[in-house]
Amino acid sequence: MKTRKSRPVGFYLAGSWLGLMVFIGLFGWILPLPQWDEAFFDDLGVGPFSPRHLLGTTQDGYDMLAGLVNGARLSVFISFASVLIGGGIGALIGITAAYFRGKYDLIVVSIFNILLSIPNLVLSLALLSVFAYSDADNPASTNRRVMVLIASLIIVIIPILGRISRGSALQWTNREFVLASKSMGTKSFTIIFKHILPNVAPAILSIGFLAIGSVIIVEGSLSILGIGIPGGASWGSMLANGRGNIAYSPHEVYLPALFIALTVISSNWFGDYVRSSLDKRESKI
Amino acid sequence: MTALDGLVIKILLRLGFKGLNSVKKYLAEQEAKRPLSPEEEKQLFPHHRPDSDRVLVVRNLNVEFNVGKGNVVKAVSNVSFDLVRGETLAVVGESGCGKSTLGKAVLQLPHPTGGSVNFLSKELTSMGKKELRDMRPAMQMIFQDPISSLDPRLPVSEVLAEPLRVWNRGNQVEIDAKIDELLGAANLDPAVVRDRRSYEFSGGQCQRISIARALALDPTMIICDEPVSALDVSVQAQILNLLQDMKDRYGLTLIFISHDLAVVKAVSTRVMVMYLGKVCEIGTPDEIYQNTKHHYTRALVGSVPIPDPDRPLSGNLIQGEPPSPANPPSGCRFRTRCPMATEKCAQEEPQLREVSVGHFVACHHPIAE
Repeated sequence: MKTRKSRPVGFYLAGSWLGLMVFIGLFGWILPLPQWDEAFFDDLGVGPFSPRHLLGTTQDGYDMLAGLVNGARLSVFISFASVLIGGGIGALIGITAAYFRGKYDLIVVSIFNILLSIPNLVLSLALLSVFAYSDADNPASTNRRVMVLIASLIIVIIPILGRISRGSALQWTNREFVLASKSMGTKSFTIIFKHILPNVAPAILSIGFLAIGSVIIVEGSLSILGIGIPGGASWGSMLANGRGNIAYSPHEVYLPALFIALTVISSNWFGDYVRSSLDKRESKI
Repeated sequence: MTALDGLVIKILLRLGFKGLNSVKKYLAEQEAKRPLSPEEEKQLFPHHRPDSDRVLVVRNLNVEFNVGKGNVVKAVSNVSFDLVRGETLAVVGESGCGKSTLGKAVLQLPHPTGGSVNFLSKELTSMGKKELRDMRPAMQMIFQDPISSLDPRLPVSEVLAEPLRVWNRGNQVEIDAKIDELLGAANLDPAVVRDRRSYEFSGGQCQRISIARALALDPTMIICDEPVSALDVSVQAQILNLLQDMKDRYGLTLIFISHDLAVVKAVSTRVMVMYLGKVCEIGTPDEIYQNTKHHYTRALVGSVPIPDPDRPLSGNLIQGEPPSPANPPSGCRFRTRCPMATEKCAQEEPQLREVSVGHFVACHHPIAE
């Protein structure tokens, strides 16, 4: 009988933090919190654990907790959307390239290599400043920025996950069970989805969770550079807004930074645990 | 050659372009696949048996691999043989002589580069994807590595259900019943093994599951690619017995690829010895073992260990390694290692000829009595 391995504490910690972030990202608006963009002129820059503001306010009077909860919505949405779409497309292209080989594989690998040679921050920067150009006269809407940001992140993620899944799928496409499946007349589509994808999934999932972490960081970096999400609507943008006030209200910087760090670390850990728990076969040998 | 190429060449032929290289090649390919009358076949391939009920006829099969920089490895060159219903043809030879490639080429995985594979009176090499797929249930394969033959993520019941689902053989209840029957036939307890995955089994058990899977579609022919090489000796016997039982029960025709002559002797009704992609000798196991004619076969038979410590080691085993199949020797391919090689062997390629009833050898200087 199968013995269930007791999971380390880290798995539960990371999992519950990620779960909490997803939850407040989805249902944060239900919580009895003030509006994130509502300024409290009576409480400018109060510290954490103040009577009406659990995590304090910024120098401009915005409630920190409400800001963080709202930031989770955008950060979680951006990271999950870009990793799910980019990872899905990348995995599909990578696995089919490994399965069919030949010229298709050659073309796919060349395109992946070209895309990988572009630094992701530079690509996002370029795309954002072209497609979501914004100045004082005609500011780009937050929605437009978010969409362009997600699109640029998808372009970055496709070759990363595509290469990982191609490399991983190559180990499986030549296994004899795939040949056996072909010899009994199973269609390529069925072989890919039934035999290759489940075996490649652990690698894709663990890299996918890593990618979620990196995407959150990229989003933060872009906001700090001033072309990400404006006005403190995401964690990175809160950080960007607060960095000038670090001397007066350090919690304005530390809290979003802490949220980013915890989420990134959790997604990395969680990815690792998911991989090792799915990889029964490897752990047996 | 794709369908489009075929069409273009047919148009070229109509227009009278017979001299073009591609047209010549096409004509040669068609010629190779042409159905032969029994007399013609007997004349061209003396070791074929056109009068018997044959499952498979392979003529001049070639498999070439492009290894880059214009180099081509001829893994199998001009191999011809036939398979009578109910027999077990053993294909033996040392590693790298093209036995496994031959087995896979018969199944068109990958397609051979030339020659004809005629299975149940249908030409497989000129079939389209769909037609070929319809032939697949009748021909199955069992592989060397039992553990790698099963998907580690699927429980045994799913592994066995796959071929049945692909071919819509009944509903879930019927499939379940069939799985239980197959597992029972393979001497496995369905209640115990159904929900387990491949890594929970030993090599022998995995091989039995593979055999059960190969039997799921009631095939006519099974190609066993070194089915017992990866197993220890006690388990080898079990698997060989199982294969024999299955053969008797389901009336199978087997191609048994192996390098182990002791195993081959136990299972086969006909033995084909291959060296560097060519057939050297073909005949019944008794003839091959007792009345060996080819020098390579003698070396192979001589290398079978005999459990007698006092027996002197046979001294006339061949030396060295087989030459590269990318650049095979001229004439007889074995001449570089053959003790009897002469000038003739380098110039003229020996053809298979009958030395005694049903025993054929491709050698200019066969071993005398």
